[in-house]
Amino acid sequence: MSEQEKKFLEIVDLEKSFGCGETKQDVLRGMNFSVAKGEFCVLLGPSGSGKSTLLNIIGGIDGADSGYISINGDKLEELGEKKLTQYRRKHLGYVFQQYNLIGNLNVKENIEVGAYLSDNPLDIDELLNTLGLYKHRHKLPNQLSGGQQQRVSIGRAIVKNPDILLCDEPTGALDYATSKEILKLIEEINQKYKNTIIMVTHNEAIKDMADHVIKLRDGKVRKSIINTEKISAAELEW
Amino acid sequence: MTKQKIKNPLRKRIPRELRGEWRKYLVVALFMILTVGFVSGMYVANGSMMTALSQSAEKNNLEDGHFVLKKRADNSLISEIENGEKADIKAFYTDKAKSELDEKFPDEFDVEFNEKFNAEFAEKFNTTFEEQLKSALLAQGLDENSVSAMLPAAIEQAKASGNYQTAYDSAYKDAYKSAYDEAYKTAYDEAWDKILDEIDEEYSDAEEKYELNDPDFRAVPVNIYENFFRNADEDNDLDGKTDGSVRVYAKTNEINTASVLDGRFPETENEVAIDRMHADNVGVKVGDKIKIDEKEFEITGLIAYVNYSTLHEKNTDFMFDAIKFNAAMVTSEGFESLSAPVHYGYAWKYETAPSDEKEEKKLSDNFMKALLTQTVVSDNEISDYLPIYANNAVNFAPDDLSSDETMGGTILNILIVIIAFIFAVTISNTITKESKTIGTLRASGYTRGELIRHYLATPVIVTLIAAAIGNILGYTVFKNAVVSMYYNSYSLPTYETVWNPTAFLKTTLVPFVIMFVVNLLVITQKLSHTPLEFLRCNLKKNKRKKAVRLPKWNFFSRFRMRVILQNIPNYAILFFGVFFVSVMLALAVGMTDTLSHYKSSAKDLMFADYQYVLNSYEDEEGNVIETSDGSAEKFALTSLQRKGKNMDEDISVYGISENSDYVNIGGLDDLGENEVYISDSFAEKYNVKVGGTVTLEEKYENQKYEFKVAGTYDKSLNISVFMPIEKFRGTFDFEDGEFTGYLSNTELSDISKDDIATVITEHDITKMCDQLDHSMGAMMKYFQILCIALSAVLVYLLTKIIIEKNENAISMTKILGYENGEISRLYLLSTSIMFVISDIIAVFLGKIIIKFVWSAMMADYSGWIVFTASPLGYVKMFLFVLISYLVVLCFDFRRIKKIPLNVALKNAE
Repeated sequence: MSEQEKKFLEIVDLEKSFGCGETKQDVLRGMNFSVAKGEFCVLLGPSGSGKSTLLNIIGGIDGADSGYISINGDKLEELGEKKLTQYRRKHLGYVFQQYNLIGNLNVKENIEVGAYLSDNPLDIDELLNTLGLYKHRHKLPNQLSGGQQQRVSIGRAIVKNPDILLCDEPTGALDYATSKEILKLIEEINQKYKNTIIMVTHNEAIKDMADHVIKLRDGKVRKSIINTEKISAAELEW
Repeated sequence: MTKQKIKNPLRKRIPRELRGEWRKYLVVALFMILTVGFVSGMYVANGSMMTALSQSAEKNNLEDGHFVLKKRADNSLISEIENGEKADIKAFYTDKAKSELDEKFPDEFDVEFNEKFNAEFAEKFNTTFEEQLKSALLAQGLDENSVSAMLPAAIEQAKASGNYQTAYDSAYKDAYKSAYDEAYKTAYDEAWDKILDEIDEEYSDAEEKYELNDPDFRAVPVNIYENFFRNADEDNDLDGKTDGSVRVYAKTNEINTASVLDGRFPETENEVAIDRMHADNVGVKVGDKIKIDEKEFEITGLIAYVNYSTLHEKNTDFMFDAIKFNAAMVTSEGFESLSAPVHYGYAWKYETAPSDEKEEKKLSDNFMKALLTQTVVSDNEISDYLPIYANNAVNFAPDDLSSDETMGGTILNILIVIIAFIFAVTISNTITKESKTIGTLRASGYTRGELIRHYLATPVIVTLIAAAIGNILGYTVFKNAVVSMYYNSYSLPTYETVWNPTAFLKTTLVPFVIMFVVNLLVITQKLSHTPLEFLRCNLKKNKRKKAVRLPKWNFFSRFRMRVILQNIPNYAILFFGVFFVSVMLALAVGMTDTLSHYKSSAKDLMFADYQYVLNSYEDEEGNVIETSDGSAEKFALTSLQRKGKNMDEDISVYGISENSDYVNIGGLDDLGENEVYISDSFAEKYNVKVGGTVTLEEKYENQKYEFKVAGTYDKSLNISVFMPIEKFRGTFDFEDGEFTGYLSNTELSDISKDDIATVITEHDITKMCDQLDHSMGAMMKYFQILCIALSAVLVYLLTKIIIEKNENAISMTKILGYENGEISRLYLLSTSIMFVISDIIAVFLGKIIIKFVWSAMMADYSGWIVFTASPLGYVKMFLFVLISYLVVLCFDFRRIKKIPLNVALKNAE
C-alpha cells in the first residue's frame, strides 16, 4: 500500500465549535487521524464526543472552523459549494440512522436514485441480490421492515460505488438481529467493493469487526487502534 | 462494457405524486383548464371575429367617415368636396355681397337720390329762376324797389304762361343726369367700401372659426357616396303601436353594404332586410311582417350592416340599443315610398388610405375644415360629421372585444399567480415534509438545481397539461360559447375560426412562465438550506426564540390563536385569494346593482317626463312655436365638447327659464359673468370642484368657452352645464326669444310632429340599462357562479395545506383523547375565524377597488354612471364566498376524521 493510500483520508488539527460567547461549545478540539484506502473504520464515542459532526465534515455537509480534511490528497476546505457537491456525488455514499427513503419510489428505484449520480454504477440487480432485496425490489418503503429499509438505504449509498461510505449509526434504530444483518452486509460490501467505510456508532461491539477503531471523547481522538484481530460481523455479540 | 446512463429516477415520482394527490391536482387542473379554456376561447373567438370584421369592412366597403347635410348637395358641391380643397370664403362673401349690392343698390339709390335731388333742385331752381327774372326786369330799366314789388307777380305769370315749367324741365334734365351719375358712383363706392369692411370683419371671424389660415392644412381628396337614410317608426308586432325606431337605407352596392346572415336582401318595394341582432331581440324572423312608417314590409333577410356592428342610434349614446333601434335595408322604390324625412347622409373614402390612426385623424381634421368651407359657400349646413375612428357603431364591438381580451388575460394571469402560489405553498410543505430525504439526497451529491427541477416539474406539468386541454376546449366548446355571447350583443358578420398564435402564447406560455417563475423563486428559496439543515429538519430562517404571549384566555382560544399564528403565511394567501374573488364578485354583484339603481333613479333624476327638442323655434311661416300647456317651459340647448386625452365628450349646455319648475337651481338667476352650474355627474367624472373652471369647445368650429363653476346640480343624469336662458342666448348668439324646446311633465299634443326634432323620455335614459342587462346580465350571473367556484377551489386547497401541515399535531391530539369535534373546533374554527375576517375585509376592499376600476372604465365612455353597491350587495358578496367555505368545511371535517393516529408516532423524532 502506498503512502498516499495509507493516508487516503487525513484529518489534521480539525476544530469545530457551535454558538458563541457564553453558549459557545467546542465540539471538535484539534482532531488528527488518518484512514487508509479500503479500511473499515469505526468512530466510537459517547454522545457529544463530536463523532457525528466529524462525519458531517468528512461528508462535506458541514465545515470546520480550522484544520483540514484531505481525501486522496485533495483538501475539502478548498472546495466551493459546487465542487463539494461534485465531491459528494463522485466519491461519497451516505447511510443514516433514519433511512430517509423516498416514499413513492420502490426499492429498485430508490437504489437507482443513487445509481443516477454515478458514471459507473454497480449492477443494480446484482446489488439487490447482495442486499437480499431482489424479491422485494418492486415494494415501496412502507411495505418493508426497518432492516430492509436500511438495506435499501445502504444500497442507495453503495450503488454508485463510492470511494468512501459514511454510515451514521446505521443500526441505531434496529433490533439486535437486524443490526447484525446490516453489519454483515456492510462487511460484505467492504470486502466486495473495497470501499473505505467510516461508521459512527455507540455500539462498542462493532469495533471488533473494524480494521481501524478511533475512540473520541470531548472532541478529541482518545485512541486510534488498528485492529489486527478483527472478527467477522457474524461473530459479533452484544 | 459501457453502461447506459440511468435516467433520473426522481422523475418517476412525478406521475405517482400526481396519482397520489389526484384530487388536489384534479381540482387545480380543472380550474386551470376552465380558465385557460374560457380565455383561449375568448382569444380565438375575438381573433376570428376581428378578422371577420376587418374582412367585412373591406368586402362591404366600409366608409372612412360620413357627414349629414341639411340640404341635398348638388353635383358641383360634391365635386368640390371630393377635391378636398378649402373654398375661398372671402371671394364667396365678396361675390355674394357684390351681387346683393348690384341687385338692391340701383333701386334703393334711385328712391333716395330722387327724393333728395328733387327737393334740392326745386329750391335751387326757384332761386335761380327768381334771380334770372329779377335781372331781366332790372335790364328793362326798372329800379330795385319796383322790381322787388313786381317779382312775385312776374313769377306767377311765368308759371301761368308755362315759361316757368319749360325752364324748369330743361334745367332739371341737364342737372339730373350729371348729378345722378356723380352721386351714383360716389354712393356705390361708399356702399361697397362699407361692405368690404364688413366682409373683412366677417372673414376674420371665419378665419378663426374655420382655421382658414392653418399652415398645416393639406387638401384631402376623397370619394363621396350618397348614403341617405330615413329615421322612421317601427311596429314589429303589428299591434298598431310604435315599438322603436328604425334607420332605413336604400339598397346599394357602393358603400356601407351589409352581410346576409339569414334569408336574402329585399328585391321588391314591400320587402325589407333588418338587423339580425334586433330581430333576435324583438323576436321576429325571416318571413314575418313589420310596419315601418305605417307601411307593411315583409322581412326577407337578417343582415349585419358593416357600419352597424352595434346599434348606436346616436354616436353620443352611452350604450347601443338593439332592442328599440334597428337598421334596415329596403329597395330604392321602398325607400321612396316612405314618408319620414330624408337625411342627406354622405359617406367618404379617402383616395389615399391613411397609414395609421394618427394620420387618419389628421386627414379627417383637414377634410372637415375643407368640408365646412365648401358647405358654407354652397349655402348648406353640416348637421353631423363623424370620421370612422370616432364612430361608436363601428368601433364599440371591436373595442369591446379587445377590452374583453385584456380583461380575460388579466383575470387568467391573476388566477395563475394565485394557483402558482398555492402550488408553491404546497411544494414548500412537501419540501418541509421530505426534509430528511432531501438532506440525504443533497448529502449523496444531488445538486440543488436537480432538486429544484424535480420540485418544479409537477406545477409545470400540470400547467402545461391544463393549458393544452384548455386550448383544445378553447378552440371548440368555449369559442362557441364566447361567439354566441358576442352574437347575443353585437351585429356581427359570419366568421371562420382563425388559428390564433397570440392566444396560444398568452394562454400557454404566459401561465407557464408565471407558474415557473413563482415556483422557481419559492422552491429556490426553500432549497437554499444546507444538507445538514435538511437532515436536521432545521428549515426556518427566522427561528422564533420566544412564543408570543397570549392573554389569559381559555385553553381552546389560546390553542386556536397558536394555530393562527403558526399559519399566518397560509392565511395571507387565503386572504389574497378571497380578496381577488371579492373584487370579481364586486363587479358581478355591483354592476347589476349599479344598473338597477341607475334605472330606478332615472325618473327622479330627469328634469321633466318629456323633453321636446324642436327643429326650430319658429314654424315654416315664421311664427314662434307655442303650446297651450301652461306647465310647459321653454329651454335652450346646445352641445359642446370637452376635449380629453382618451375621448372628446359631448356636453349638453342648457339655458333654463327664470324660476324654472323643472330645473330647480337656487342661485341660477344670480350667476355672475361666465358662471355656470354643472351636473354632479360632470363634477364627479372630471373631478371638477366648485370654483374651478371648465373649458368647452364647439364641435366643428374653433371656438372655446371657459366657464367658472358656481355650483353643482344633483338632479341630472347627464354630463350637463346650466345657465339662465337669457345668458345662454347672449353666449351662443341666439336671437331674443329663441329657444330649443320645451320641458313638460305631460305630453304636448299641440305641437306639430314636423316641428319636433326629438323627444327625450325616461326610456332614452334607461335604454342603456336595458341593453347592458340584456347583453351582460346573464354573464354576470355566470360570473357570480364562477366566483363562488373559484372561492371554493382556493379555500379547498389552502385549508388542505393548513390541515396537512398540522397532521402530526392533529394525530397527536387524537392520541391524547380529543374527539373529532373538539379537534375541528381547534383547527377548523381558527381557519373559519380567519376566513370570515378575510371575507369581511375583502368585500369592502373589493368594493373600493372596483369603484376605481369602474371610474377608469367609465372615463372611456360618454356619460356617467355612479358605481352603486347596495347593502344587500355586500351581504350577497360576503355570503357567496362564505357558502363556498361552508361546503369546503364539510370536506375538511372528513379530512380531519381520516387522519390516522399513527401519523404522530411514525413521524416522532
